[in-house]
Amino acid sequence: MIIIRNARTRCVLQKAVPLLIIPLVVLLGAVLLRGQHYLLISFAVALLSLLLFIAGFEKKQTGARRLVIAAVMTALCIAGRFIPLFKPITALTVITAIYLGGETGFLVGALSALLSNFSFGQGPWTPFQMLAWGLIGLLAGALSKPLEKSKWLLCIFGVLCGIAYSFIMDIWTVLWYSSGLDATLYLSAIVTALPHTILYAVSNFLFLYLFAKPFGEKMTRIKLKYGV
Amino acid sequence: MKRLDSMNPIAVSALYLCAALIPLVKTDPVLACLFASGALLNLLLYCGQKGGHGFSLLLFFGIALLNPLVSHKGVTVLFVMNHNPITLEALLYGVFTGGIVLASLYWFRTYSHLMTSDKLLYLFGALSPKLSLVLSMALRYVPLFGQQIKKVQQAQTACGLYREDNLPDRFRGGMRIFSVMITWALENGITTADSMTARGYGLQKRSRFSLFKWTAGDIVLLCASLLLCVCSLLLLQNHTFTFYPVLHMTSPNPLVTLGYICYTLLILLPAIIHVKEVLRWRCLTSGM
Repeated sequence: MIIIRNARTRCVLQKAVPLLIIPLVVLLGAVLLRGQHYLLISFAVALLSLLLFIAGFEKKQTGARRLVIAAVMTALCIAGRFIPLFKPITALTVITAIYLGGETGFLVGALSALLSNFSFGQGPWTPFQMLAWGLIGLLAGALSKPLEKSKWLLCIFGVLCGIAYSFIMDIWTVLWYSSGLDATLYLSAIVTALPHTILYAVSNFLFLYLFAKPFGEKMTRIKLKYGV
Repeated sequence: MKRLDSMNPIAVSALYLCAALIPLVKTDPVLACLFASGALLNLLLYCGQKGGHGFSLLLFFGIALLNPLVSHKGVTVLFVMNHNPITLEALLYGVFTGGIVLASLYWFRTYSHLMTSDKLLYLFGALSPKLSLVLSMALRYVPLFGQQIKKVQQAQTACGLYREDNLPDRFRGGMRIFSVMITWALENGITTADSMTARGYGLQKRSRFSLFKWTAGDIVLLCASLLLCVCSLLLLQNHTFTFYPVLHMTSPNPLVTLGYICYTLLILLPAIIHVKEVLRWRCLTSGM
């Protein structure tokens, strides 16, 4: 496994890779390679970024408690995906990220996508879902201070996340059935996915509104009592 | 050689990814047809006829019909709708991409069927033992939470706190059970973590237990799928098929035919293994 020894480099890389390098590679690939390999590029990028995250995670000293709580939250996310229509995965990922940090948020988001796809169908879209949910977790972790304070900000963040998730997955859909990123096709994909986007946004809002306070209290209590 | 579902997951994953990669990279209806028929054959052999086809077929028709509506490239105009020409080329391209999507759905349905959670843990364990630990714990917690929810529900009913007479009461009861569950799950997690630490978790580098070993058959499968994938990609390198503006295909030569044969072998590998095992079993039972 790739091991990055210097803690500081690792820290910088862990923030830079998902937030800067990968979007850059995707954009460059779209501009420079006017071929039919977009899908491959994006698939490779998704896999690589997940690998990089795993590499950093493997090397880092993570306490057993934090690890187990990540597993607990992942299990709750998986169980929650069976609720018809409204899916609490994003909400739970965001809450985990706020209280336990972006890295744990990424882990919970990505792993719940991976594991719940055993019931909902595994395929080449799995890395994209993992990345999309993982990034939501990472972003929530980065914005944890303001999000923890204001509930309304949190709910708005949830709505935006739902929309962003849908848009990211639409890029993948378009890449899948056309060789290039066609603007009209992308727009039509967004329009066809509109009910889903609205559903995502509404369920994120609903679950964050309902869960933010009780989950926050419980998480704070656990953190205070056991020092996670 | 063993059956595909007891072979090394890395070899099986390589086979499935290689076979799905080629039709995605090369725009070619012949490859798409081979891929689709191979995927369907595999689905029938490994999963039987169970499972709905409604969603997949809906997706296929949706894509096939959406493409001529949004894309107006191509020269053969079939008819004009709302001042927009509907072309034969766009329709055929839609059917082609729809076919690829449908075939990939079926192909990966078989893959999901073969890849049980223990194999996934093995795959991830090869990457990161720590991650596979989190994965296995999460997988274990899902049924555990289900059992615990039942226990909490029974206790609440016994206390007379949980009623199902009216909707608000039911909702409040559900929320209370949920709240109890979260607290319990977190506390239980902490106990587990403490127990892990007490038994020496994190003192040394994590090792892993592996259910799958590399046998000769696994290595043959891995090499065969990689070799066939590279061969067919190289042989089909100069062969192109274009949909727009007119359907055009470079004239096939022996090399291209060989490339198609390589891909056919690759896509049929799971079926070949399956049939071989069935025949072998017949021979064994008839000899007894």
